[in-house]
Amino acid sequence: MSASLFNSIELLPPDALFGIKQRYGQDQRTIKVDLGIGAYRDDNGKPWVLPSVKDAEKLIHNDSSYNHEYLGITGLPTLTSNAAKIIFGTQSEALQEDRVISVQSLSGTGALHISAKFFSKFFPDKLVYLSKPTWANHMAIFENQGLKTATYPYWANETKSLDLDGFLGAIQNAPEGSVFVLHSCAHNPTGLDPTNKQWVQIVDAIASKNHIALFDTAYQGFATGDLDKDAYAVRLGVEKLSTVSPVFVCQSFAKNAGMYGERVGCFHVALTKQAQNKTIKPAVTSQLAKIIRSEVSNPPAYGAKIVAKLLGTPELTEQWHKDMVTMSSRITKMRHALRDHLISLGTPGNWDHIVNQCGMFSFTGLTPQMVKRLEETHAVYLVASGRASIAGLNQGNVEYVAKAIDEVVRFYATGAKL
Amino acid sequence: MLRTRLSNVGLWRSYYTSSLSRVPRAPPDKVLGLSEHFKREKSAKKIDLTVGIYKDAWGKVTTFPSVVKAQKLIESHLELNNNLSYLPITGTKEFQENVLNFLFRESCPQFGPFYLAHDRVSFVQTLSGTGALAVAAKFLALFISKDIWIPDPSWANHKNIFQNNGFENIHRYSYYKDGQVDIDGWIEQLKTFAYTRQSENNKNPPCIILHACCHNPTGLDPTKEQWKKIIDTIYDLKMVPIVDMAYQGLESGDMLRDAYLMRLCLDVEKYPNWSNGLFLCQSFAKNMGLYGERVGSLSVVTPATTNNRNSNLPQQINPLQQNIDSQLKKIVRGMYSSPPGYGSRVVNVVLSNAKLKQQWFKDVDFMVQRLHYVRKEMFDRLGWPALINFAQQHGMFYYTKFSPKQVDTLRNQYFVYLTGDGRLSLSGVNDSNIDYLCEALEAVSKMSELA
Repeated sequence: MSASLFNSIELLPPDALFGIKQRYGQDQRTIKVDLGIGAYRDDNGKPWVLPSVKDAEKLIHNDSSYNHEYLGITGLPTLTSNAAKIIFGTQSEALQEDRVISVQSLSGTGALHISAKFFSKFFPDKLVYLSKPTWANHMAIFENQGLKTATYPYWANETKSLDLDGFLGAIQNAPEGSVFVLHSCAHNPTGLDPTNKQWVQIVDAIASKNHIALFDTAYQGFATGDLDKDAYAVRLGVEKLSTVSPVFVCQSFAKNAGMYGERVGCFHVALTKQAQNKTIKPAVTSQLAKIIRSEVSNPPAYGAKIVAKLLGTPELTEQWHKDMVTMSSRITKMRHALRDHLISLGTPGNWDHIVNQCGMFSFTGLTPQMVKRLEETHAVYLVASGRASIAGLNQGNVEYVAKAIDEVVRFYATGAKL
Repeated sequence: MLRTRLSNVGLWRSYYTSSLSRVPRAPPDKVLGLSEHFKREKSAKKIDLTVGIYKDAWGKVTTFPSVVKAQKLIESHLELNNNLSYLPITGTKEFQENVLNFLFRESCPQFGPFYLAHDRVSFVQTLSGTGALAVAAKFLALFISKDIWIPDPSWANHKNIFQNNGFENIHRYSYYKDGQVDIDGWIEQLKTFAYTRQSENNKNPPCIILHACCHNPTGLDPTKEQWKKIIDTIYDLKMVPIVDMAYQGLESGDMLRDAYLMRLCLDVEKYPNWSNGLFLCQSFAKNMGLYGERVGSLSVVTPATTNNRNSNLPQQINPLQQNIDSQLKKIVRGMYSSPPGYGSRVVNVVLSNAKLKQQWFKDVDFMVQRLHYVRKEMFDRLGWPALINFAQQHGMFYYTKFSPKQVDTLRNQYFVYLTGDGRLSLSGVNDSNIDYLCEALEAVSKMSELA
């Protein structure tokens, strides 16, 4: 038999989250809790299709012109233009000056991938800085395109707070013109965001070194329930960097509109204020189109139409805002319930960080050992880093989870600081 | 400190201006760019024959009856309609089973099941044909080869896909000559150049793109006998076939019949082992009319390993397939994490419901009958024999052989839009525009004689 190049292909370990999902699915215990994947669940632990989304779907299905024709390469214009307004703000100077490029992407990953491909094609030597820790897929997305990544300090484990000095130091020490990937709100996995004042310092430091800010915006409206509040960092960056460097924004509607599996997002580039935008804008747009054409031809239509309806129909937009409040307030409630149960159980350690963090996740501070015992002894599943998806908690299981955490902490924690 | 540095803003501005202004403008896409142009065209006479979207006899893009029913089922189905959760990285199990069943059992009943029984197929739900080609290109460039042969002419995006996904050498093989498939030139070129054109230090097997049927843009396919010669050559040369099956069903109206190239390639008796795999890129864009929903698949037929070759007994899980699966997942996870759900739900319902599936087969046949009718009607007016050469001229496209200048004239003087290579999409032709169109075609075809 002739030798095959296939024989040298190695088996990769399964995706960590996928492994959890699989073990959880096979777990036969009557009480089990999945705090792994970052998807919203309602108070019955079920996936939740937003009422505004259901209404939008009905409108689309009943529209006599509804069909499955291809979208343009850069996506559905009613989606991309409204999505830009959501993230940059209706009063955005950048939008008024017509220096924003917006293309549709396959949710956040797709947008990040487009940015990675764009950088690798035109600025292959730029270092891409990621927060430590960050979303597991960030590094792979950039390194798969041959870009070099580095990390900046973010989470101070001792204090369970932001390591601002470390963060600013990394910005100062990075080679001029590097790319900084920033979580615009609801940082994944820590759930810890800089304050508005800290953001000013961060963006100023980025400006002082000519760096490029790339905002990963996966949770706008999901953190506080308010789209504008959650867009603070992005809008600050676009304003402060407007004469320094272009700002890249990777926007997802997976969480805030619950469109997870429909893959709806946008990739935006806010150009600097400059006369040359007249030629630069079409040039950059054409290159983004070429990238999209070479991988998907044109983006998927169904989810895009839904989100475009949400953003373009005032009654639906209003309902959507309510839906985001429903989700974020339920999560906040669960954060408090978990913290309160732990306090009343007298679980060793301070648990205030659970309520101070925001978004889908809490970086609990539980060790990999404790996480393992949570799964084995209590059928409570989370990733080894101690990141818990708060959306997996509900009135029916939060006390059980608190008791389980209490048990593993006491089991291991004599002397450990929590 | 910060403040003093900020006062130098002007300096940074010039730095950044030069950085993004290094980005050159890419030429507009040859096909989709045109339809954007068409939308702006003001003339009432305008006819869009560019994109390969099926339009009915009234010029409308309609949804297949089978798909409409599937959509209704989904809307009224409690579980399907209440879950927009992430799909697994390479798509759902149901989709994989339904599509593999369609492609490898129903379309290739003699040998397809053999590959499935031996875990010889790695599967990914993809963003239609382009997505399948892009994932295949990334995988091949990482592990197998960065050399590819693409027919000349071919779909304009083929080159773009491979060039932008890791391939270093794009070669073209002669496909079309004097209105015929250039079978001799094609085989001769492969035999002479397939390996010698590669650089010295690169002896990896070159890949080759094959259009499974309804060749785009010529609409002209090799005969079954010609295919045998071609596949023999490719097999002997140990090239890696990439079968692009975007139009299954659009040749004959019978989807199963149209999978003949796959049936030939999977013939274990003729071709016992594709030693560096065979890649099938398949799309539901055209044959289910799901264009914008981006549904398709990549099937990687893996080489035989010592323990599953020539054995009729299903073996334990094939480790090779698992390795390939894991690498394909890594590629997808870094591109878009997981595929879009809606289109795959529609495909699942159509493929798993016997009644709907039967309806779908009828829908495809109905579409193809209309395209045949258009060919005949155009032939009646123009007398161009290639229009009704049903043995070899297939699918949605008719290749006019018009020069770029003639195509320009058609567009500028007659408002009839073809792609730059002279490709005409028959589906845009109907009773209300056929007379005007044929007059325009007639006039433009005589242009070269006058000039």
